[in-house]
Amino acid sequence: MRQFRRMAYPYIVWISLLIVTPMLLILIYAFTTTGNNVASIRFSLINFEKFFSDVIFLDVLRRSLVIAVVTTIICVIVGYPVAYIIANSAEEKKFTLILLITIPTWINMLVRTYAWLGILQDDGIINTMLGFLGLGPLKMIHTSFAVILGMVYNFIPFMILQIYTSLTKMDKSLLEAASDLGANKVQAFLKITLPLSLPGIISGITLVFLPAVSSFFIPKLLGGGQYVLIGNVIESQFLTSGNWNFGSAISFIMAVIIMLSMYITKKIDRGAEKGEEA
Amino acid sequence: MKKIVSVLLIVILAFCGCSSKTSKESAVEKYGSDTLKFYVWGEYIGVDTISNFEKEYGVNVIMEYFDSNEMMYTKLQSGDAYDVLVPSDYMIERLIKEDMLQKLDLSLIPNISELADGVKNLAFDPNNEYSVPYFWGSVGIVYNHNNVPKDEIEQKGYSILRDTKYSGKIYMYDSERDSFMVALKSLGYSMNTDDEKEINEAYEWLVELNNTMSPVYVTDEVIDNMANGLMDMAVVYSGDAAYILSENEDMSYCVPKEGTNIWVDSMVIPKNAENPKLAHEFINYILTYDASYDNTETVGYASTNGDVLSDMSGEGGDYENNEAYLPRSNYESDEVFNDNEFLRQKLSELWIKVKASK
Repeated sequence: MRQFRRMAYPYIVWISLLIVTPMLLILIYAFTTTGNNVASIRFSLINFEKFFSDVIFLDVLRRSLVIAVVTTIICVIVGYPVAYIIANSAEEKKFTLILLITIPTWINMLVRTYAWLGILQDDGIINTMLGFLGLGPLKMIHTSFAVILGMVYNFIPFMILQIYTSLTKMDKSLLEAASDLGANKVQAFLKITLPLSLPGIISGITLVFLPAVSSFFIPKLLGGGQYVLIGNVIESQFLTSGNWNFGSAISFIMAVIIMLSMYITKKIDRGAEKGEEA
Repeated sequence: MKKIVSVLLIVILAFCGCSSKTSKESAVEKYGSDTLKFYVWGEYIGVDTISNFEKEYGVNVIMEYFDSNEMMYTKLQSGDAYDVLVPSDYMIERLIKEDMLQKLDLSLIPNISELADGVKNLAFDPNNEYSVPYFWGSVGIVYNHNNVPKDEIEQKGYSILRDTKYSGKIYMYDSERDSFMVALKSLGYSMNTDDEKEINEAYEWLVELNNTMSPVYVTDEVIDNMANGLMDMAVVYSGDAAYILSENEDMSYCVPKEGTNIWVDSMVIPKNAENPKLAHEFINYILTYDASYDNTETVGYASTNGDVLSDMSGEGGDYENNEAYLPRSNYESDEVFNDNEFLRQKLSELWIKVKASK
């Protein structure tokens, strides 16, 4: 046991260097006023006051949460059947199908999002084709539709893979038992497959919701500069305003929201497990 | 025969290898290093400008690009080292104030005598002690004259940007300075104001524009998108306008009657530059006729080299009939940005709120 403990030291150093230190810096910045000099820090809640007293920022936060929730729901609705089909297809097909899902993620996200820009633009591929058919140009770029599409496209592999894993781990004999006992296919799915894949859905939700709520380049590229989500506000505070304190405060607020949502999903997950046992 | 050829080839190859090596070594000897880090606006350099410099002096240029002065400042402040930067007037004023720039050794930049009259000894650096102008221009509106009548835009000025007739048809430039300049000028105020009431009025002006016109905020995309005629109007820098006009003949350029920002982007050497000697050489090179010509021909901004400027805008020049190329001079309401801390902080706070207010 002791030797194993020693093996964790490099990991602890790694974690404190790459995770704890930046988090601490964010915390320090968030609770202090301007000046990038750590020596002259003064405790203050002014950054939080600025955020919560401004209707515009609260509205941006609400908008970001709505977009992230919508993205997550679409990912579940679209991702689940895909995962189900892959999990139930023949063994040699499975590998190819999973490969098809993962291959796009080998390419940088930014590049893939740029590709959507070319597809959705007013003079992009879709509108050019519509033009040939004599149909009017559709306004797609710089809308909520484009942003949600971009997010679903970028994050859905996480959802599919999570659900797929939990589906393949499932014991198939349970389904046979169900049909022996007279359950039809729908009943078997609702009573057995769905509850057993719930952990996969929940970790998929976490993996989709977290990046969706804080993404800044997808709204920036596909939503245009006027589509401001909370990630864009944070980015602007660091990159253009140079107000690291306010940017850190918003990051901190986001971290709290994210931790809360993870806590809640964990709770649901545990509740579901308990439900199964009972 | 074959043998002789191969021997010859080897000799030539060896010779080539040697010569490139010596020029590299001599660069190191002469400047202390053979690498120059150049931090500049996107789409702001001629096609061959950099490769010619690299060939001529046997050095390597590492390019990095920024979208806004503020972004450049943040990077510089976080400790990144560059040899040559090209910020705008007000930012140079700030960098000088904050002691982040080196004084130039003008004896190493003899080509400074080539500067056009309009860009010598400007207010932000009266004796060109710190900065050497790179490009200059104004800000105005590029419009499609088939959809927006010339008389109307000339008569309405900036307020045409809030005419709901053109809703969904305009690009704004995603820069707090330039957007607030438009609003302040339209309201008849100075763009260097530090009156909070005037700034708030400008903020309301922009919020209304944001909420009624559904504008798209862009940076460099505006160049290609307007050249393709995607929108009817766009607030742009004159040089981008010159390029757009040369690509699409439906487009015209108007510098509104309420006045504009006459700006100058200049080359400076930051205090933490690793290779100041080569930086001086580079600045001197950019000022040569050939390099300036290449730059302005590709990019479309007004050259700071006097001869190039008059050749380009004069008879037979590339921009002879291009109304956007040559910045207007001596117009009373035109101003140059000053560095003003109060205004700077206000704008950076308000700009994200303008864009988010919907």
